Amino acid sequence: MRISENKLRGAVSNHIILMVLALTIILPIMVLVFNSIKPDEEFGINPLGFPEKVRVMNYYDAFVIGNYAQVMMNSLLLVTGTLIMCLTFSSMAAFSLAVLNPNGKATILIGIYLLVGLSIPAQLFILPLFIIWKNLHLNNTVIGLILIYSALNAPFAVFLIRSYMVQLPRELFEAAIVEGASTFQLFTRVALPLSWPVFLTTGLVVSLAVWNEFLFAVTFIHNEEFKPISTILYSFQNRREENYALISAASIMMAAPLAILFILFQRNFIAGLTSGGTKG
Amino acid sequence: MEEWSRSAAPFIVLMKNLSNKEMTSWIFLAPVLFIHLLVVAIPSLSSLALCFTDWNGFGKINFVGFENFLELFDDRVFKKAVTHNLIWTGLFLTVPIALALLAAFLLTGVKRFQMFYRFVFFFPYILASIVNCLIWKYLFHPIHGLAAFFKDIGWESLATSPLTTKETSLYAVAFVDGWHFWGFLVVIYITAMYQVDESLYEAADIEGASKWQTFRYVTFPSIRPMFLFSFLIIIIWSVPAFDYVYILTSGGPAYSSEVVANFMYFEAFRNMNVGYASAVGALMFVYVFTILGFFWTLRKLGWEI
Amino acid sequence: MKVISKSIFYGIITTSFLFSTSAVAKTQISWWNYSNEGSGLNAALTQYIQDGFNSSQDEIELQIIFKEGEYNETTRTALLAGVGPDLVSSSGATYVAKYVEGGFLKSLEGYAEKFGWSDKILPWAYNTGVFRDELYSLPKNYESMLYFYNKTLFEENGWSLPTNLAEYESLAAEIQEQGLYPFAYGSSGWPMTHEHLAGNYLNTVAGPDNVYKAMVGEKEWTDPEFVESLELLKKHMLAGYWSGSLENYYAVGWDDFSAQFQNREAAMLQIGSWGFEIATGLDDKSDDWGWAPLPILTEEGGEPNYQLSVGGTLSINAASKNPDAAAEVLNWILSNKDTIIELTKSRNFGEWLMPLYYEEADFAGDIEPKLRDYLVDFSERTGNGNYGYTTWTYYPPEAGTHIWKDMEVVWAGDISVEEFLGEQQKLWEKARKNNELLPIAAR
Repeated sequence: MRISENKLRGAVSNHIILMVLALTIILPIMVLVFNSIKPDEEFGINPLGFPEKVRVMNYYDAFVIGNYAQVMMNSLLLVTGTLIMCLTFSSMAAFSLAVLNPNGKATILIGIYLLVGLSIPAQLFILPLFIIWKNLHLNNTVIGLILIYSALNAPFAVFLIRSYMVQLPRELFEAAIVEGASTFQLFTRVALPLSWPVFLTTGLVVSLAVWNEFLFAVTFIHNEEFKPISTILYSFQNRREENYALISAASIMMAAPLAILFILFQRNFIAGLTSGGTKG
Repeated sequence: MEEWSRSAAPFIVLMKNLSNKEMTSWIFLAPVLFIHLLVVAIPSLSSLALCFTDWNGFGKINFVGFENFLELFDDRVFKKAVTHNLIWTGLFLTVPIALALLAAFLLTGVKRFQMFYRFVFFFPYILASIVNCLIWKYLFHPIHGLAAFFKDIGWESLATSPLTTKETSLYAVAFVDGWHFWGFLVVIYITAMYQVDESLYEAADIEGASKWQTFRYVTFPSIRPMFLFSFLIIIIWSVPAFDYVYILTSGGPAYSSEVVANFMYFEAFRNMNVGYASAVGALMFVYVFTILGFFWTLRKLGWEI
Repeated sequence: MKVISKSIFYGIITTSFLFSTSAVAKTQISWWNYSNEGSGLNAALTQYIQDGFNSSQDEIELQIIFKEGEYNETTRTALLAGVGPDLVSSSGATYVAKYVEGGFLKSLEGYAEKFGWSDKILPWAYNTGVFRDELYSLPKNYESMLYFYNKTLFEENGWSLPTNLAEYESLAAEIQEQGLYPFAYGSSGWPMTHEHLAGNYLNTVAGPDNVYKAMVGEKEWTDPEFVESLELLKKHMLAGYWSGSLENYYAVGWDDFSAQFQNREAAMLQIGSWGFEIATGLDDKSDDWGWAPLPILTEEGGEPNYQLSVGGTLSINAASKNPDAAAEVLNWILSNKDTIIELTKSRNFGEWLMPLYYEEADFAGDIEPKLRDYLVDFSERTGNGNYGYTTWTYYPPEAGTHIWKDMEVVWAGDISVEEFLGEQQKLWEKARKNNELLPIAAR
């Protein structure tokens, strides 16, 4: 009895703190949502509240002006391509660092190399990269941009996956080796299935990075038909215009697919964890 | 033939051992290394090679020795930017980490609405930096947003402009970036916390441990690798911090929110002092290697990183 | 999913169809322009220039591509790699100078002779594209600084336009007493507005003759008249002339200061000629507006001047495979004054006001008479030699950046005006030494 009472009281105080933290996020986002359905003339008199006259047409306007049907497909293609390439390569590397050779010199060297890689600002290498890409005829191609995104996101993906794989029980691998599994099978049959929660996290992080990336997209893609979604938002914001209503609607449309993905993904995320038996 | 194979036998054994361990591990590493070298390392190194020149991005390349570095150490804006980066790192190592640990730990203790909280905390991280900046630029605007609201209800003194006041601009930018970032840490920590052996919690419960004690002696030691990872990643990520500064203030007013990456960007792309900007890049490398050396030492001392 | 894949399928079909039909016979000419979907720029350029040109002939197919974000950086990166569009647009002479230095632009001298371009473009504007005695860029847009005022508000309060410093300051004080801002203006989203103000004060306090001498090296920027100019600007800025306070000025953007002017929160608007777009917004309200050249801010006042400015340029990429076809496009633009007037009208005369030889007949019909008065007054005054210099058309790159970026440091009180101008002077000397000065016609 005593314990459960304690637990109950604990849960209430947990909820209070969590709610306060959540409100610091919900309230500003609500302002964005309100702004997206506010008629332009209402901004002066009603800065934060729900609009008196709802104008859903803001969404239609932004959708048409921004050509969202097409730019969303382009971004989806970029995200899918990057996920395939980046997660495949990164998980191989993570497996190598965490399982094959956890204490080797290579692990430390590669670890340092990738960490340094995380600290390099894009401004330092974008110019020479452009020249290399031109010579490889990768400029203005989707695959060229996918390669760049895969490389940019690889260090973080490797670290994240490795830090998960390092905690996998060694006995599982040893048992598989006894059963005659090859190194490749250790990777595909043991390491990958056991690590899949971290793949969801990593996959989400990479998808976000690609979906929201702007600098490389605008530098390396010149064809209108290939333009991803991130470039469109910039086109709404400029020196001569700050139409809050339109930009807010455009922003929400940009975020919506990811938010939906995240909701769907989160359920699997939890399911993966509970079925793995790590949580009671 | 026989002689040859006999004499070569030890070598083949060695090769086999190698191929079993070192070689395979390198094969698995190769794809990532290849693309990363191609996209990041080679272009960066070729850019860094310019730090001893006065190249302006177009014309002849003249070797100038250490002139860029001497000029940098004398540059008031650069010095300001470095100071700001250190403050920035300090802020991010404390506030978001503390909040995220708190939230993740509390989250493991609740069953209802857990999904809701997680979704909410992570939500700003989903949004593009330009969207987050839009939200806060609006809220922090002296005419719109919060200021207009405070004026309406008569709290004139709160109707300020944090982003354009030189005393507060850096903190205002860090706040917006942190607001968007800390939910990411929650996800990282909670993934790790769910791997903690449940029996340890049960034991703590039976012992009558307080929440803080449970956190201090059960949760935290178990997630330490993830924690240290986040610590290191924040230090590293603070070096090229750019987006939020660039979009919200461009380093202003009067360089009060200038950071190194923005400084470098401006020198390279606006002032076209590519050589000078490369020197900034070189110094960033020196800094990162120093940090890594520090962590390396910790690792040598037996910390699991 | 089915719907989505279907639309991709049609997308592929239509694009490949478009390419297969257009690519066969015609010469392809590409042009990169900065993108501004929100204001309809993309649609206007596509309609007036791209479609207009393409339907005028059958040999050349022009395609305008819109680049978001920092347009000049994307262009520079591409030019460096030896690619990029056939037609290169830039934000002004500063950029063109760098491109010429790098050898990325084709000299237009031959085309100019062949098509007689020097007879079509106003000479001062033509000269801003001449580097090393050869033409490299055409001016796309000309601008000047002026100010707009709320005529009705002025009449109600019995205010009159200032003609010297004392009147200017007392007017500002009176306006502030009414709880209004003397000027609507702000730098959010475009911090380069600082240089508008700096240029205004240099040209109206120290005066264009002194500015000219400093630019050609006959005076130094640290001389007292320039110090005085910027001290005065600092004083007025800190007194809240623009949007009430320094913090507000930094936070206020285009829409905000438009609204301030249109809603009687500010009595005046000190801006470039692109501000006609904002002033005409008053036409929907009961207030009337007027414009005037900037007053001379000295004790005795004087004859106002207009600062010359070219805010955008067009050039041909040296790597272009079809420079002749690209030149045809340029010539078509210069030869179709009517189209250009339609285009600039659709941009509220803020963009694409090409410095061509206009006659009053060109602006017949529904053009705003106040705007026509300005265009006439501009050419009369500048024709009489009453012109000054905008920083973004005449300053070498680093000095041009420094004058707006570090101006904030002066306003913050971190350095003095003398120190600031000392840095300016050094940057000018550096540019002079490196032969990076922009073309400045003798006065």
